[in-house]
Amino acid sequence: MTTSESSATTVSSAPESSDWVGRSFKRKEDHRLTTGKGQYLADIAAPGMAHLVFHRSTHAHALIKKVDTSKAAKMPGVLAVITGAELKDQILGFPQPVVVPALEAKYPTFWPLALDKVKFHGEPIAAVVAVDKYQAEDAALVIEVEYEPLPVVLDPEKALEAGAPRVHEIFDDNEMFALTFTGGQTQEEQDANDKDVEALIQEADVVVKQRFRVHRTGVTPMETRGALAQWDESDGLLAHVTTQRPHIDRLALADMLSIPPQMVQVIAPRDQGGEFGVKAPFYREPILVCHMARKLGRPVRWVETREEHLMCVSQERDQIHDIEVAAKSDGTITAVRDRAIGDAGDGCEGVYWGFLMPFLGAALLPNAYDLPKCDIKLRVAFTNKSALSPARSFGAFPARFALDRAIDLVARKLGMDPADVRRKNLITELPYTSATGVHYDSGDFLKTWDNLTKTIGLTAFRKEQAKALKEGRYIGIGFAVGAELSGVASEVLVPMENQPGYGAATVRVDPRGTVLVFEGDAPGGQGHETSLAQIAAQEFGIHPNDIVVKTGDTSITPFGSGTIGARAGSYTASAVSIACRRLKDKIAVIMAHDLKLEDATPEDFEFKNGEVIYKGGNIRKTFVEMTNRIIMMPLDLPEGVDAGLDETAFFEADKPMICFSCHGTIIEVDADTGQFEIKKYVTSEDAGTVINPLIVEGQVQGAVVQGISNTIFEEFVYDENGQQLTADFENYQIASAADVPRVMVTHAGVPCPHTPLGTRGLGEGLPGPVPAALGNAVSDALQPFGIEITDLPLRANKIWAMIQEAKKKTAA
Amino acid sequence: MYPAIIEEYLAPATVADALAAIAKHDGEATVFAGGMSVMQAIKARLIEARCVIDLGNIAELRGVSVGPDGAAIGPMTRYADLVRDKKLHGAYQALNDAASTVGDRQVRNRGTIGGSLCWNYIAACMPPTVLALDARIELTAPGGGKRTVPIGEFFLGALETVRRDEELMTKITLPAAKGKAGSSYKKWSTQVDGLPIIGVAVYIETDGSGVCTVARFAVGGILPIVKRSAAAEGQLVGTKASDADGIARATAAAAEELDPQGDRWVQAAYRKLLIQSLGGEVVAKAFERATGGAA
Amino acid sequence: MNKDVKISINGVAYEKSVPLRMLLVDFIRDEAGLTGTHIGCTYEGRCGTCTVQMDGEAVKSCMLLAVQADGREIATVEGLASNGRLHPLQEAFNEHHALQCGFCTPGILMNTEEFLKENPDPSEAEIRRSLVGNICRCTGYDHIIDAIQTAAKRLRQA
Repeated sequence: MTTSESSATTVSSAPESSDWVGRSFKRKEDHRLTTGKGQYLADIAAPGMAHLVFHRSTHAHALIKKVDTSKAAKMPGVLAVITGAELKDQILGFPQPVVVPALEAKYPTFWPLALDKVKFHGEPIAAVVAVDKYQAEDAALVIEVEYEPLPVVLDPEKALEAGAPRVHEIFDDNEMFALTFTGGQTQEEQDANDKDVEALIQEADVVVKQRFRVHRTGVTPMETRGALAQWDESDGLLAHVTTQRPHIDRLALADMLSIPPQMVQVIAPRDQGGEFGVKAPFYREPILVCHMARKLGRPVRWVETREEHLMCVSQERDQIHDIEVAAKSDGTITAVRDRAIGDAGDGCEGVYWGFLMPFLGAALLPNAYDLPKCDIKLRVAFTNKSALSPARSFGAFPARFALDRAIDLVARKLGMDPADVRRKNLITELPYTSATGVHYDSGDFLKTWDNLTKTIGLTAFRKEQAKALKEGRYIGIGFAVGAELSGVASEVLVPMENQPGYGAATVRVDPRGTVLVFEGDAPGGQGHETSLAQIAAQEFGIHPNDIVVKTGDTSITPFGSGTIGARAGSYTASAVSIACRRLKDKIAVIMAHDLKLEDATPEDFEFKNGEVIYKGGNIRKTFVEMTNRIIMMPLDLPEGVDAGLDETAFFEADKPMICFSCHGTIIEVDADTGQFEIKKYVTSEDAGTVINPLIVEGQVQGAVVQGISNTIFEEFVYDENGQQLTADFENYQIASAADVPRVMVTHAGVPCPHTPLGTRGLGEGLPGPVPAALGNAVSDALQPFGIEITDLPLRANKIWAMIQEAKKKTAA
Repeated sequence: MYPAIIEEYLAPATVADALAAIAKHDGEATVFAGGMSVMQAIKARLIEARCVIDLGNIAELRGVSVGPDGAAIGPMTRYADLVRDKKLHGAYQALNDAASTVGDRQVRNRGTIGGSLCWNYIAACMPPTVLALDARIELTAPGGGKRTVPIGEFFLGALETVRRDEELMTKITLPAAKGKAGSSYKKWSTQVDGLPIIGVAVYIETDGSGVCTVARFAVGGILPIVKRSAAAEGQLVGTKASDADGIARATAAAAEELDPQGDRWVQAAYRKLLIQSLGGEVVAKAFERATGGAA
Repeated sequence: MNKDVKISINGVAYEKSVPLRMLLVDFIRDEAGLTGTHIGCTYEGRCGTCTVQMDGEAVKSCMLLAVQADGREIATVEGLASNGRLHPLQEAFNEHHALQCGFCTPGILMNTEEFLKENPDPSEAEIRRSLVGNICRCTGYDHIIDAIQTAAKRLRQA
């Protein structure tokens, strides 16, 4: 076990000098990004480029009686103005199959611009294209829309009631999606399971029943969305889009715009200013940008404003969980029942449709606990808010909060330390399949957990806490865990998103012994150019600086479903590794042939320090010699071996994999004001083999701070009319450096047996355990008042009110 | 978003030129001090600034002087300058406190005390601070006519002051302390240095034995405008730094008297609590500064 | 409604006729073509990605009109390295992995370069407060603090 406080540490042992995996190699991306040479979407321009600005709804729910664009059309610099009514006859609408999950749900029909009605504050109604961005905005502002307001429905529970205003008239009610996740496929099996769970609850020693609610918040990236489209009659469409999934966007754009796919090229700029899931959907706006570029025959760019962004995307979490946890007196949990409610907003969003987040959240609810008997049901409602869009800890953030908070309540009832109840219920035997059917491949949860409680000093803390209480100080400790996705297998992704889960990479070796790696996904700060170079360097025994990683361009990279679900460290890294190994085998075969080593097999060759070494006879050739010979002098090749050193590999794990993480935090609460301070935050990770410890540490620290910011500071607020009140950074408050503690990252993992290098992907789910850890610590500190945190955000004024309430009760 | 079309931009170098320019535009021009708040409004297109008059080049409106008659502060003095100005320590130190927590470094490099007072945003830090320091505001009209307004009469309502569109704020004066004086400001917001939910500024004068002879207790973040609490001030006179109960009674009286309203983010009761908790802290700090730490 | 301005950016004078309403950040990005300075807000001026220095002081270039910079010296991230040598802050940000997506980084560098002149030996708490005007969404800030501490030390020794 090592902490990552010093930068060059690894999971197991320090790397040998020739090892590149496990080393805190300095990122290759940083030179351009620290010198201002990064090229983000808004930095990319095209000759003759025009600018598109949307006119968006000022109502949350209203009929559109009239859209008057006449004034806008006459404004200086305006090239075109378009409304939904016009657009409807020019392109196809949603849903298109490539961006619709293979799950039964109500999928609304919609176009990039609203037709006869708006369903949330901020929905696009019309757009202006002008030669200058200032002029485009001037014109968009003078578009006049006549509305007939309709009653709004904002609360998902109310939306599900009979007689609630309908968000989509084409459907009978607002229940967008409903699913039972446990018991089996048939109604009979599910009913039987429900009965079993009910019986276990009835006979349990203790039962905790509690509603938990997590507000609407997400992980808005610093770079907003955008698109730059260019059209050429012969070449077709070239679209730069801020996206995590360029290949999916390409297919979807081809479908919606009726362009043959070979005439569509999508480029996700290699520099993207943060993604976190927000750039994973297939959104409506880029479609219109592409359409207008084709229509006008000139490049069109749209760069989203922060206001548009916060009104329309980056909104996640927002779930209610009515959870019951039954346990035996020794702390063993015997059953869990959860009735979850999700709020999809208007649900109009390609790929995710506002309900896939709560869907996965419910599936992941059992977390790393051995809970064979669960009854988990989810309902997701349409409301007059923007569609929920993904954020890191996809759907799981509220579910993690509910269960890991409930476990502390169980411990309280049993008079046990919550840490002991948590440990008692962790999964110890892997592989494991949860009651919701989620497969956990491997890991050592207890080792990782014990590392956490030891590092944070649980035993010593309890003594300190007792002493502090005598002095009138309230300090508490809180824990939570997360068994999170490490890539998403096709087994999961095909039904969930109608897309393949494999990781893909092309490795192209140059005659000069240098290497290009092509990744079909599109990173946004995760450091793929460095980590994947380290993988290829490790395989070929060459320096990472001799390797360049290209990403995001559909015309040169292999097909991939996108930078999602922590799949780079698991799936993509493995695809790189496999492609390299196939090429190494080829090089070995040719070298054996050249040297007439008749008995040699590829295993007898080692790639190290720029050399290819035949271990049997210590015969060496430089890597450059071999690559030059194979690519440039394809003479006398062994029979059946073709020329060249290009290889594309698709990695698919046999079973879905996970990455385990546990978090602990110590918080002091001022009981007079409810104000609190996070004194310590520690994580313990099982990230398998760590490719680059410094990058992993950065991923963990960043994710934890996002979780802290979501839990304490950030909140999307709609007023009673559905007006979005938090569409700027003054009102949507993101934690600054001064608002957050240090995050100590430690590792206690074991290599993953299902990937070639033992790596796991870990970025996606990391914020998940944060809200419960914080809520548990505050509740632990305030046990003298009997306070339990059940609703987020966690705010001083709310905690103070709870303390006042508790004091009143005690006095009475 | 972008500003609406601006037809004229003027950056006069003297007050006289600025006043002439303002007069020429019949008070319709948009005047930039640091511009940090007004640019937000212009970019949000809440203000269409056809003509901008930028005071940034007027050296005579900048600077702090402290003498036997009190202090004089140029309205174009920036937060960054106030933060660093040790002349203000003691009696006027609330200004250092307040300036150091406005916005962030970049905002403090541009934003000015005069701009903040003229904008009079409900949750700004400067209005309660100058109110506690009993400032007088000099306003100059085109032609050079001056009037001086006591700060208590300067603020009219949210984003409203008695300054007429054609007038410029040309000086902020602070009275000299009669005894040993100290002042302090503190705010509380969800985020460090965020817009305050409540901000409290206190000025204390003491006699030779550390007994408070003059107290001014001002609170920002309440509707409709920043206010002083006569009740708190009455209670504070006669107390000493060590009189915790007396100070607590005073801050409780302020919370009652000012009776802050709640909103969807923070309830009224919590604002009351903040007036008391912050009030207690700043009173203690003001006493400490007045008496040099001796109770 | 245009005005001729002469704005020096990283020592190069740009003489242009610009609309009065043009924001300084757009002058830097669109007129001078220096796209290292970014935009992350609508109108609020809160995120800090557009931070540059005007006459040596960190300011948010989205909250100024280009005409306000007439005759002044602007420094952007593109001018931070000199004579082919990276600034100690740039080196330290790389060493400590103090950036992920890099979108906020230029603003942080330009703010911090001035901050370290004002406070060459800051505490961690002082560094954290100096960054209130620069939101970073990726890193969680710890590595940024580490990098600034390292750079400050090297600058003190230089």
